[in-house]
Amino acid sequence: MEHYTYKIRDIAKRLFKEKKIDIFIGYEKGTNPFFPRPVLISRIEDVDRLVWNSNCGLNLCNYLTGRKEKIGIVANGCTSRSIVNHILENQITRDQLYIVGIPCTGILDHRRIQAAVNDKEVFEIKESTDSFKVVGKDFEEEFIKEDYLQENCVTCTHPNPVIYDEMVADPVPSRAERPVYEDVEEIESMPIEKRRFHIQKLIKDCIRCYACRNVCPLCYCPTCFVDERIPYFGKSIDPTDTLTFHVLRAFHCAGRCTDCGACERVCPVAIPIRIFIKKLNKEAFEIFSWEAGLSLEQKPLLTAYRKDDYDEFL
Amino acid sequence: MYKVVEKKEWTDSLYHIKEYKIYVPVKESYYHLFRLLTKDVSPDFSFSNTRLSPKSIIFPQSERMFEFSLSEDDPDAFVLKEAKKQYPLQAVVGIRPCDAHAFLIVKKNFDNPDSKDPWWTRRYENTTFIGLGCNSPASTCFCTEVGGDPFNEMGLDALMYDLGDRFLIKVLTDKGKTFLDKVKACSEAKQEDIEKAEELKCSSRSQISAKIPLKELLSKRILEVFEAPIWNEISFPCINCGICTYVCPTCWCFDIQDEVYKQKGDRIRNWDSCMFPIFTLHASGHNPRAEKFRRVRQRFMHKLKYYPEKYGDGVQCSGCGRCIRVCPTNMDIREIANKMASI
Amino acid sequence: MSEWNPNIVAFLCNWCSYGAADLAGVSRLQYPPYFKIIRVPCSSRVDARFVLAAFRNGADAVWISGCHPGDCHYIEGNYYARRRFILLKRLLEFIGIEPERLFLSWISSAEGTKFAEVANMIAAKVKELGPSNFFIKKRAEVS
Repeated sequence: MEHYTYKIRDIAKRLFKEKKIDIFIGYEKGTNPFFPRPVLISRIEDVDRLVWNSNCGLNLCNYLTGRKEKIGIVANGCTSRSIVNHILENQITRDQLYIVGIPCTGILDHRRIQAAVNDKEVFEIKESTDSFKVVGKDFEEEFIKEDYLQENCVTCTHPNPVIYDEMVADPVPSRAERPVYEDVEEIESMPIEKRRFHIQKLIKDCIRCYACRNVCPLCYCPTCFVDERIPYFGKSIDPTDTLTFHVLRAFHCAGRCTDCGACERVCPVAIPIRIFIKKLNKEAFEIFSWEAGLSLEQKPLLTAYRKDDYDEFL
Repeated sequence: MYKVVEKKEWTDSLYHIKEYKIYVPVKESYYHLFRLLTKDVSPDFSFSNTRLSPKSIIFPQSERMFEFSLSEDDPDAFVLKEAKKQYPLQAVVGIRPCDAHAFLIVKKNFDNPDSKDPWWTRRYENTTFIGLGCNSPASTCFCTEVGGDPFNEMGLDALMYDLGDRFLIKVLTDKGKTFLDKVKACSEAKQEDIEKAEELKCSSRSQISAKIPLKELLSKRILEVFEAPIWNEISFPCINCGICTYVCPTCWCFDIQDEVYKQKGDRIRNWDSCMFPIFTLHASGHNPRAEKFRRVRQRFMHKLKYYPEKYGDGVQCSGCGRCIRVCPTNMDIREIANKMASI
Repeated sequence: MSEWNPNIVAFLCNWCSYGAADLAGVSRLQYPPYFKIIRVPCSSRVDARFVLAAFRNGADAVWISGCHPGDCHYIEGNYYARRRFILLKRLLEFIGIEPERLFLSWISSAEGTKFAEVANMIAAKVKELGPSNFFIKKRAEVS
């Protein structure tokens, strides 16, 4: 990953020199090895703060909404698809952006890594090509990257950016030809009572912090539906209200979600939050052959139609 | 007064105490939480700290304050009545000193000469805190920098020292004594145990590496820090989610909503967060903190400047470090406090 | 159980399905009185949150009906509604609301008989399913 970091810095320096960008949005090293800090670089002197590693699992497209400057941004496959979606939804224009494409080799799952070192405190993650070392106060352990990837990365169909102005390395192969939905199918096959109970159990710990909503680039509504006074959906931790929030938020992302996994990554109580939107992604793929954010020519799923769409109305 | 008890016997005894509802740290899937001790629950005292603070034991996330009836036949129709609740005796066993100190900070808001919050105060008075000192603070801990200590006794009724195979328990208040008298397995401590505990205190304190220039920070003029140009850069990563406020043991903001179902209504209070965009939305539609950097600035100014100015007793932070560990964009209060102190 | 009458919320588009309901009434075609009809300008006006709100408030079933594809008064509204509600139905089934509780139909304003037939069919199906016992918001379950 170090060669990615140096390449990003070189490109950013050149872009500032040539005055092609006003600001550059990327990641910098912070105090938490599992969550590199998003940073906005506005001077060429600060460019060496930029890094890229396999823990850069947020979706930087989130920071583009409403900006008016010329922006350089690092984007891997899923982030670039979110950017396509943002452009299609008029939240940013293509000419504002200089996209530094990252062929992504997968983001690491911080929870499984933490569990693998028995919850000992992790100070640093040192990466090599196929493995990484976890360094703590008095221990150092090595793991294979492939064994600790985030769930959405294990079956990634689009690791390479779909739009970019410059790539930092050669494209990498996809991990799956078609999207895979095993966990959704498992729940679908349950009888209805069992399914209800299972879903309720999944979200029972939700503390309504809205981190999943806030980290998602799709959620840019000036007033989210939960903050509206009418209709009132309830902001307590009542289970029906919580389920309403997750279901309706997933539905608002239908046909737009690029499965970046940021929502699941940031949840403080480790809820597998992607299950709802994955179900919708599966249906969109199977019924309408739709994957979000692949092309600037295609309008998002629910803002377009075909006369011969699948129809099951009476 | 010092007592000592073997770890296994301590845990076994807790199951037999019927007079208290006991909350203990429990390992969930990827983190620890305080849960009510029942026969299916097994405590894990070898934890660093829980993901969510124990503040929900005294200050639940959602609580029914009042109820009212809308039915015309009801003689009490349209009258707000306090929701009847039980306030049983509770004990939080294994609470870290930073969290117990945090309760004292929150107490300034909920229990002061000007106003007493009846729900918070009743729960707090009925709760006994048996603390567990920290032998090895995490790298995100900084209690010593904000007036605390890994073996701080503030807010605790008893303090346990982890001596490996046994706990040394220092009884601090009558409430603590009443609770510990129920654990028959406790015996008088030996001098060597007490000495070992003193050694633990020193070694633990020295492991905290964070540095916060508290004196400089407190001496800065509020407006100077408020108007400083640092906030745009500091606030960029923040996604205004609210995790920091929800896991924080010293955050106390709440929102009150009325919910109606058929002929019955409830006035419910829920945790609220200054990070949420509508936190300061006025009924007129004006929002003084509409922009993100204002909300981020508000959080750190409140914690580190407004609270000390108002109460004159340290900052509104007990150094538990939870916000640092859970923040998805790595906003670090230690770094920000340093930046504020050096403007 | 025989005492229970279902509560069915029907979102009918003003130009076609509401007209069909009107025609069914004028023609004295019989269908059960369990339907709470909400007139909307177009089937695409119906938001997912309306459907969820209906279930939360205790509706035993929700029925959304609009103009036939190609005949929408607003040209293309029902095309969007078609995609939207097929996805919503799948999602509701996923979380545990029986798919038989969400009905979708195209009924033009001349099809009064179809309206009555569909209404009777829905009422029978919902009576068979029983009252809704999931996703109903009662008093908040808080301490």
